[in-house]
Amino acid sequence: MTRPLTLNARAAVAGRIVLAMGGGYAVAALATAFLSLTLPMPRAEAVTAATLLSFPIMVAIVVVVFAARSLGRAAAIVGAIGLGLGLALRLVTGSFPFGFGS
Amino acid sequence: MKQGFRQSMAWLHTWSGLVVGWVLFAVFVTGTATYYRADISRWMQPELRREATVTPETLAASADLAVAHLQAQAGAARTWFIGLPTPEKPLVELFWRTKPGAAPGHVLLDPRTGAPAAMRATRGGDFFYRFHFELNLPPLWGRWIVGLCAMVMLVALVSGIVTHRRIFSDFFTLRRDKAAQRGWLDAHNVSGVLALPFHLMITYTGVVTLALMYMPWGVTAAYKGDQFAFFAETGQITRNRPAAGQPGTLAPVGPMVRQALATIPEPLERLTIANPRDANSTVVAVFEEPHGLSHEHPQVAFAGTSGDVVEVLSGGLQPAAKTFTTLVGLHEAHFAGAALRVLFFLCGLMGCAMVASGLVLWSVARLPKSGAVPGFGWRLVHALNLGTIAGLPGAVAAYFLANRLLPLDLAGRAEWEVRVFFGTWILVAGLGAWPAPRRAWRLSLAAVAALFAAVVVADAATARGLWDDPAWFLGFDAALLALAAGFALISHKIARYAGPRRARRAVPEPAPRMEAA
Amino acid sequence: MTLLIGAGLSFLGLAALCLSMGRHHQALWPVPPESRRVLGLRVAGWTLIGLSLAAAIRLDGWNFGPVDWLGSLTGAGLLLIVVQSYRPRVLLWLVPVAAAITAVAALGALA
Repeated sequence: MTRPLTLNARAAVAGRIVLAMGGGYAVAALATAFLSLTLPMPRAEAVTAATLLSFPIMVAIVVVVFAARSLGRAAAIVGAIGLGLGLALRLVTGSFPFGFGS
Repeated sequence: MKQGFRQSMAWLHTWSGLVVGWVLFAVFVTGTATYYRADISRWMQPELRREATVTPETLAASADLAVAHLQAQAGAARTWFIGLPTPEKPLVELFWRTKPGAAPGHVLLDPRTGAPAAMRATRGGDFFYRFHFELNLPPLWGRWIVGLCAMVMLVALVSGIVTHRRIFSDFFTLRRDKAAQRGWLDAHNVSGVLALPFHLMITYTGVVTLALMYMPWGVTAAYKGDQFAFFAETGQITRNRPAAGQPGTLAPVGPMVRQALATIPEPLERLTIANPRDANSTVVAVFEEPHGLSHEHPQVAFAGTSGDVVEVLSGGLQPAAKTFTTLVGLHEAHFAGAALRVLFFLCGLMGCAMVASGLVLWSVARLPKSGAVPGFGWRLVHALNLGTIAGLPGAVAAYFLANRLLPLDLAGRAEWEVRVFFGTWILVAGLGAWPAPRRAWRLSLAAVAALFAAVVVADAATARGLWDDPAWFLGFDAALLALAAGFALISHKIARYAGPRRARRAVPEPAPRMEAA
Repeated sequence: MTLLIGAGLSFLGLAALCLSMGRHHQALWPVPPESRRVLGLRVAGWTLIGLSLAAAIRLDGWNFGPVDWLGSLTGAGLLLIVVQSYRPRVLLWLVPVAAAITAVAALGALA
């Protein structure tokens, strides 16, 4: 009983779902790894705190994806955050002997 | 989605809630039942006799007896789990794992004789507990599906809060005189908003319970993926002692139990014995949580061959670790006494009601105009709604009924109870295909009520002679009768409101949103 | 005990807030509440809810207090909503009864 959707609209919705799930998880995962290495507390504490934070982060990304004006805009926002976190993580791991992300 | 923030959130709430609603309902129902997991297990094994106290000597002797049994029956296992007798459940419960993927071994022993306890085979409340996060699927699949649904639920909660603009002015509103859609919306709002702190807490802490499985990347980055090292460093488990690869002989565990009891003042709950036939075997005594919110079992680890203490864990967690264990503790609510437990249970029921009313609201809001043939999508949602909302409680009742009616010596009895559970679920769900939706609801809910009433009759007829504490069993049966009455009432209401609702129904197009009219 | 006191105070507070709204006020009395009455009920409502939190924390500490408080608040809210939508007039005697029970429980906790 929903309004008939055009193929385009359907594709946009599908795109948002994929972006929310994939992008949301990717950003949350990157943020967890990054915060685990950088939060100013003992290692075990940093990992715990980062993991606890990851789920609200993912929810926030999903909300942003569905609230954005267009799919392209949503993808740009998520992509920018993900890219920033990825680069930051690369910088941090570069100075640590872990080899994560390389 | 070229609309305002609130509208896009309304869309998100409607559809995210719908796609995971059926799984969430099952998770909520079984999770709510799990608040009374121990009671359900006790009811399902009425042969059990409780004891006033369990002495340290009994514990030590039980541990020795358990090890003797495991040496004979499970020598090849990598890990043994020994549940020690408690006054509530004065039995020795053994689990063992041989290799990943293989089903664990399990047996209940009578600590006096060392022989398997003479009790009907059942999975009891543990079935609901595991279903709650594994859906009776292979654990990895079940946990990921439940975790995904829980994340979507978090999204649905957040978007629901944004969408519901009259959260305060509608707080007390449960209109019964208006159109059905209005009533379902009120029910959804009230059950959602009233227990909102609980819903947010239970969903978030539920994900947190399995956080390291869903989000292992912090451990990957900081510990190269070694979860044992991480948990040991946070102080939640004792340090992992890898197998030496050399055979070794396990020292008697009785003295270890006595020493552990002298070290920690809490009741001893279980022993975990890793690599029992290795030179580097480890015995860990795990105690009950001290009174507090935090999920934090004190532990004493022994070197298995010598019986020397290698580590004592008791409190002293750092802030983040303490936060984590407190969140897990809040989810499990082991700390809750009888009265608080009732409130948690009520909140759980409100969670069930919120999910169910949300699902029904979706289909009521899109009810085809009279005379029009419902589309495939509507019929599918209707059938799934009925199959879940009536089917699952029906299955729970049938599971209890099977416990009382299946022959006690039936081979694979515990598995048969589970088969009855799923068989009944499928049968009740089949009613969803009935061409008249309202009749189908009435019939199926009446059937659920009848099933719950039948459980009480069957209990009184077959197990009354076994009750060790009649008042307790009568209390449990009274709770089942209350459930029966609840389902009968809903079935009756659906019949009563049939007439006026159809006349008054007006389906706004496009799809109505959460805002109050 | 904490749960009883918390639930009692929350119930009274929520009832006051509920009755400060025109629609629910009219379920008991023929007219909507005048503005001074609305203000009084709101102040009383929030004060009682605040008191129930304070009582829970005072009796059960900072760990259990908030949990017990939220539990009792939810329980009290459920009771209030069910009563006022199905039998609103019951509130006329339920509120004094709740006040009496709360007072007795509070005295018991102090003693």
